[in-house]
Amino acid sequence: MTALSVNPKILIFLFSAIGLITLPHVANLPIPIFAFFSALFIWRFGCIWQPKLLAPKKLLFLLTLSSFGLLFSQYQSILGRDAGTSFFILALGLKLMEINSERDLYLITYLAFIVAGSQFLYQQSILMGVYSLFVCIVLIATLVIINTPKPNTVTALKKSGSIMLQALPMTVILFVLFPRLEAPRWMIFQESSQSLTGLSEQLEPGAISKLGLSDELVFRVKFKGEIPPPKQRYWRGPVYGHTDGKRWNITRHQSVVAKHQAKLDFSGSGYEYKLMMEPQTKNWVFALDMPNKFPATLRQISTYQLVSMKNSQQRAEYQLSSNVNYNTGYLTKTEFKLNTQLPVRDPSVKIRQLIQQLGANKSNPEVFIKNLLNHFRTEKFHYTLTPPLMGARPIETFLFEQRRGFCSHYATAFVYLMRVAGIPARVVGGYQGGKINPVGGFLEVRQANAHAWTEVWIENQGWVRFDPTAAIAPERIEQGVNIEQQIAAGSANFSSINIDNSALSLLKNANMLLQSMDYSWQRWVINYNTSNQNRFLDSLGIGDLRSLFFWMLGLIAVVTIVLALILFPAYKIKQDPILRLYLRFCKKLSKVKLIRQPHETASAFAQRAIIELPAQQVQIQQITELYLTLRYSNKTELQTFKQLKQHVQQFKIQSK
Amino acid sequence: MAVKQCPLKIFRPKKLTTHAIELGHQRIFILPTNRGLNFALLIVLLLLIAFVYNNNLVYLLAFLLGSIFFITILHSFQSLSGLVIQIGAAQSVYAGEAVGFDFYLHNPSKYMRPSLQIKLRQDEANNNVLTAEKTIQLPAKTKICTRVYSMTNTRGWHACEPLILASNYPLGLFRAWSVSYFDLKALIYPTPSLEKLPFPVNSGDQEPLGKLPVAGTDDFYGLKEYQAGDAIRRIHWKAYAKGQGLYSKQYDNEAIGNELWLSYAATTASNSEQRLSQLCRWLIEADTTGLEYGFEIAELRLEPSSGSEHLRQCLHALAVF
Repeated sequence: MTALSVNPKILIFLFSAIGLITLPHVANLPIPIFAFFSALFIWRFGCIWQPKLLAPKKLLFLLTLSSFGLLFSQYQSILGRDAGTSFFILALGLKLMEINSERDLYLITYLAFIVAGSQFLYQQSILMGVYSLFVCIVLIATLVIINTPKPNTVTALKKSGSIMLQALPMTVILFVLFPRLEAPRWMIFQESSQSLTGLSEQLEPGAISKLGLSDELVFRVKFKGEIPPPKQRYWRGPVYGHTDGKRWNITRHQSVVAKHQAKLDFSGSGYEYKLMMEPQTKNWVFALDMPNKFPATLRQISTYQLVSMKNSQQRAEYQLSSNVNYNTGYLTKTEFKLNTQLPVRDPSVKIRQLIQQLGANKSNPEVFIKNLLNHFRTEKFHYTLTPPLMGARPIETFLFEQRRGFCSHYATAFVYLMRVAGIPARVVGGYQGGKINPVGGFLEVRQANAHAWTEVWIENQGWVRFDPTAAIAPERIEQGVNIEQQIAAGSANFSSINIDNSALSLLKNANMLLQSMDYSWQRWVINYNTSNQNRFLDSLGIGDLRSLFFWMLGLIAVVTIVLALILFPAYKIKQDPILRLYLRFCKKLSKVKLIRQPHETASAFAQRAIIELPAQQVQIQQITELYLTLRYSNKTELQTFKQLKQHVQQFKIQSK
Repeated sequence: MAVKQCPLKIFRPKKLTTHAIELGHQRIFILPTNRGLNFALLIVLLLLIAFVYNNNLVYLLAFLLGSIFFITILHSFQSLSGLVIQIGAAQSVYAGEAVGFDFYLHNPSKYMRPSLQIKLRQDEANNNVLTAEKTIQLPAKTKICTRVYSMTNTRGWHACEPLILASNYPLGLFRAWSVSYFDLKALIYPTPSLEKLPFPVNSGDQEPLGKLPVAGTDDFYGLKEYQAGDAIRRIHWKAYAKGQGLYSKQYDNEAIGNELWLSYAATTASNSEQRLSQLCRWLIEADTTGLEYGFEIAELRLEPSSGSEHLRQCLHALAVF
């Protein structure tokens, strides 16, 4: 156990880097594993000053065994995100205990890089990115220090920082151009923590603090005739009818479908279209508004949602027809009960007051709806993809305190208030909008288009759609998904009374800037996937893998050349003009194999030259004398210099 | 008739030079070290993780490390490029010892070279502490002299092995190195014999010699003014310390005694190398004791004298015999 050969400075550096890189994992890993690692870390760190306390070989073996035991007690495997990360953390901890050579230091640094990478499987925020970059600088500086005989912390950090800076352009090129292939399904491990836009079995808007935008394509639609205007593009998905105050679940009670279909009354002309679903995990099929005709491979359930009976994990195409004008007819008693269901906890006084204030009236719900939408519009409600967490009573927190949220917040709050007022209402999930692809002439709907709106049952009209989000952010509905970008960039403003306080505007601008940065980060870094990349590269005119490869090589070559020019400036040692003239003379002589040896003086060389070239004795002597005078005497005149110049210029070797 | 030359330049015998060599792109080679290869493995592993989890930040990390790996090649080149190597003096040693060669390393550039490894190309068997590679630091715009060692086995002229200047800086992922072939030689004297034999008796009369002069005894004869070449141990330091100038002490026996002649013919060993080795020992002993001695080998005859220059001449003759 001779760890003394390693410079303590290197160890301190390495340990700080490792401490920094493992610290954020405290939130991700089981406590016993992190505690075990921390114990090893602190123990070894202390040993830098107290080498006597290092673990002997036998104890090390025991520690290894126990860490394996710990790992298997937690996961029973080393595959998967959590188990894999724990494995590498424990390996790192154990390796720390056994630093005998430079090789070990390298292994530890490499393990630390893997742990740094595993960090991104848990958190992908811009802050995490910057933090990891900083730690990478420290890790690279550790390598610099290992390779410097006289380590200096500041110099090493500077060197590492400059290497990092120089590596960035190439990193960006690789990042953009490196082909992103999707991993085959068997390789993908289950991941649940990421919250991207999309539809799930339940809504819990209060528990989401950040909604990522996924550009993943969900389906394409090709219309036979005209395309419905953006306002009408509601693609119907599951209905969330049951709530416990926090969560909203898909309505479980499925009554006889035929009865619902029978009471449906369509009016006006419908849209005929072909729906092309991308592979899905759920068997939901998203029809426009209210489907009228659908193929036999699909089934309609009582909430008018279409579900496929076949395997949804393959692309599928359906010929459909939908109406946007319809009447769903009467409501049965069970349906009424289901759609006025409220959580066990009674609504608070505040809620009741609000309802009163907004003119809740069972018999005339339309007034109440109008007032409520108006309330959202005129009060300081914000549309945001990064809402605060709402806590135990999410709806009240949202309505009275935070007033910031995305579609699910508005839809759930809206339905809740309706139900408290005794009006049957429900949350509908699905997609809204879609972008027309001018090339293919079809509509593309992506995960980012996922939306939640509401339906309220009104006497003689049946279920009527209301979209509270439209009241807050009409652009979200009218212009489609790009509005998200604008929200993030701060150009869209959803609150009418928002521009008053000038003192806050700077703060607000900063906040807007942060949000916009975060949005760009989400869009261009985290969600840069196969389809994004293909579209981006297509727009650059890079079609196939071959040209991609050439582009990559070309750009890397350019970056390398630029870097080489920066790193190796063509420096010239400034030469004495007199010496330069003399060297020119020597060069002329070198043509006849007369090369001045480094130890040879000018006069000795002249003598040798004269033997070889007796015909030019005078010239050689003159030049040598002038040169020696100019270079070594204290009387140097411009005249002499000019003379030398002239002589050297005129000097020509005459062939014998 | 033209000498048939190997078509590949690197396999041709290298031209030796006494000129200064500036390290440029034609002289610097770069290859990844084992650590560098492992680093590449790390990048592959990260790419795999990124692929499986479809995680762009892990991709980003992998690409960053990949770019760093690539850029390190340039930095490795930078750690050697522009350096100028010049030959300096060569030491003379006895065979079996490590001989030192001096080289001047000049860094004319504006940046420092924090880690340079320098050594002479040695056979495995000759690796030891002295000949092992030496790590030095070369600040910007400086010239230093460094001594590298080579193991010797035989007497005579020892050609300096190719000089290897290398650097793992900055990350140890790549090794840049340059081999310089200099025309530099050192004279290696024969190994002094381990056996102690008395000095040979003079060929003229048969009186044994071996009486060693001891300073401060009756044999002390007087002082004479110092002359270049006088043995250092004969300098009268006391006088020098008093500021009276340099004087050499003279001893009785050398002024009046028999002349000591060390010759090849006087050695008794069975073969010539052992004889040279014996002669070498005598020379050293005679010099350490401060005796005046004549030297005779083959055609060469040096009149009795003493001092380092005399010794050098004698040893030189031994080395090239």
